Amino acid sequence: MEQPEDLVAERSSPWLSRYLVLPVFVPLSLLGGLFPSFSLEANLYVLLLGGAMLTAGLSSRLPRLTAPAVLPPGVVWWLVPIGIFVIFEVITYAFGSTHDFPTLSLLADPLLDGYLMRSLGYFGWLTIFWGMVRR
Amino acid sequence: MSITRLAVISGFLAAIIAAVVIEALARRPQSRIPRFGEVAAVVMRYDLAGIPVGRLALLGFWFWCGWHFLAR
Repeated sequence: MEQPEDLVAERSSPWLSRYLVLPVFVPLSLLGGLFPSFSLEANLYVLLLGGAMLTAGLSSRLPRLTAPAVLPPGVVWWLVPIGIFVIFEVITYAFGSTHDFPTLSLLADPLLDGYLMRSLGYFGWLTIFWGMVRR
Repeated sequence: MSITRLAVISGFLAAIIAAVVIEALARRPQSRIPRFGEVAAVVMRYDLAGIPVGRLALLGFWFWCGWHFLAR
């Protein structure tokens, strides 16, 4: 999406604004960790936070980092982890995501049951979401 | 633990480790490998008939990931 020149942040300048919001995510994540999976509260909370992030990401009012015009040929290396992940996810999904063939989400479920890991999950999700909003 | 479960866990770990290694290589000076954020930025810049489909796709995918892992 084309950005007006005054809304495009340079790579060297956005450090402060990029990391300034991270402390805001700490209480949001600690609160989110309180809501168990499959609860109405968790669903509403994720929809609220995700909706806000999505709205911010689609808004043209926030400054965005500059993107490279062309990617170097080394971009193909990213197909390695993506390819490995997709192969295992598709195979395990095709086998029904069972104990012997678990998808990533089935493996993550017991980890995300604990409050600390759940809060860290929220923090990682929000941090990466914010990074995407700024792109 | 069954052999298939061990293989699947090893596969997912291999994907994560590969991503971390490639990102580390991309952050070296003069690297010919772009950072993952740069790849995402180029994908997000993709428009179709004025609709930011790349941006919608990646933001929507990440929104879904949060819901899938944290809410359901």
